[in-house]
Amino acid sequence: MAAPGAADAAIRLDGVTVAVAVDPEGAAGSGTKVLLDDVTVTLAERRIAVIGPNGSGKSTFLRLLNGLVRPTAGTVSVAGFDTARSVAEVRRRVGFVFTDPMAQLLMPTAAEDIELSLRRVGLERRARRARALALLEEWGLARIALSSVYDLSGGERQLVALISVLASGPSVVVADEPTTLLDLRNSVRLRAAFAGLEQQVIVATHDLEWALGFDRVLVIQDGRVAFDGAAADGVAWYRGSVGQGGVWERGEILRCAQDDRRRGQGDRGGEL
Amino acid sequence: MSGRGTAADRLLGTYRPLGSWVEAWPVGVKYLVLLGVTLPCFLAQRWWLTGAALLVTAALLLAARIPARRALGVTGGLVALIAGLALYQGLIQGFWLDGARGPALGAAAVHGLVLGGNLLVAIWAARLVTMTTPSPVLVDALVRGVGPLRRLGFPAERFGLAVHVMLRSIPYLMGSFASIRQAAAARGLERRVGPQVAQVAVRAVAYAQATGDAMAARGLGDEGRA
Repeated sequence: MAAPGAADAAIRLDGVTVAVAVDPEGAAGSGTKVLLDDVTVTLAERRIAVIGPNGSGKSTFLRLLNGLVRPTAGTVSVAGFDTARSVAEVRRRVGFVFTDPMAQLLMPTAAEDIELSLRRVGLERRARRARALALLEEWGLARIALSSVYDLSGGERQLVALISVLASGPSVVVADEPTTLLDLRNSVRLRAAFAGLEQQVIVATHDLEWALGFDRVLVIQDGRVAFDGAAADGVAWYRGSVGQGGVWERGEILRCAQDDRRRGQGDRGGEL
Repeated sequence: MSGRGTAADRLLGTYRPLGSWVEAWPVGVKYLVLLGVTLPCFLAQRWWLTGAALLVTAALLLAARIPARRALGVTGGLVALIAGLALYQGLIQGFWLDGARGPALGAAAVHGLVLGGNLLVAIWAARLVTMTTPSPVLVDALVRGVGPLRRLGFPAERFGLAVHVMLRSIPYLMGSFASIRQAAAARGLERRVGPQVAQVAVRAVAYAQATGDAMAARGLGDEGRA
């Protein structure tokens, strides 16, 4: 592996498998369930979208990049730092935005949550406060600085979560379906915020229109990278694989349920 | 989620700068007031002490310029909880320990009221700290307070954050319970308490997992990096 540093800025997954133990009498006879299976990719493009069905392994894939999930086999490195051995270095570089901002926001108010992120930067309290307020001002959110996070709209919460991540200066922002809980207006607002980021952005999303605007699309199905390429091709491939041709009849709904059950009883699938 | 906001604000409150002299106290003084008001009440169990503590904490909250409703209000659920505990303690004291006849019943009632009052003192005194102090200041004070234990390998930063997260989880769990009750009521199952409690427990575990993930993802709580 190359020496860690800026010269090797890409994220690399090499033969990565993630498996979890399950009840031997449950879904998998082998006692393990494979969430990701032998994935090898290098992520160097500035904007990468990850799409795929529920339970396909998208979240597991993203969580590997921040060290929240460790590979059962293979290695994941960020700028040359192994995510299993150099977690602190990796998390300094890779910020993570969760689907539900309320799981992410740990402080009562927007400004205080951003201050919390700045604790690990080593700033003194007054400097943290000033920086947090300045960041909210930059994003046009100064008026909500002292608002309880419970009183913010979904879009405001997700923006605050994003700003909290950006506050510590990561070079990569990973986001797991950040628009899923948002209405159309807030979804468009958040997409615009992501579009303006100078960091490398890796986003899992079910919003195929959004995915079309990315430099590269990975389609993950059944724990494998089923497609890797240009956004338009990736989205078209995914649509084709789902059979999105019109309104499903009852027979197709039942077949879909059978497919899901088969995946659950097999040795892979399932989203963390 | 919306219900949690109300619960969060009503239980321990959220800091808003109001420029009062109480707010200007050093956080250490506020912690001392919190202990100084609540501990004697719980140790002595005297109605006059509880009454005095209620008056003092209420006066301090109002002196902190917090609107009376935010400062002193308690939710119906909390009233029910306090009343239930007071009744239970009163019955235990009155019927099982003191014999439950004549004057003992009156003493049991006083005992129950004192217990309920003490819980209210604790809640109001806690609000005096949380509603007049920004959370980062509270966390810093906790971390500083246990700082000397670092030499023994104690994770002071993690401790400070853990206490804060624990406080944050209370309104979340209250909101969780309320939403589960509503969901049960919508299906006509509001009287089946067992499944509701189980569901709250499941959500609590999921919440703890999600909070842990969020802290880990942000690199928080690792000693030496804060």
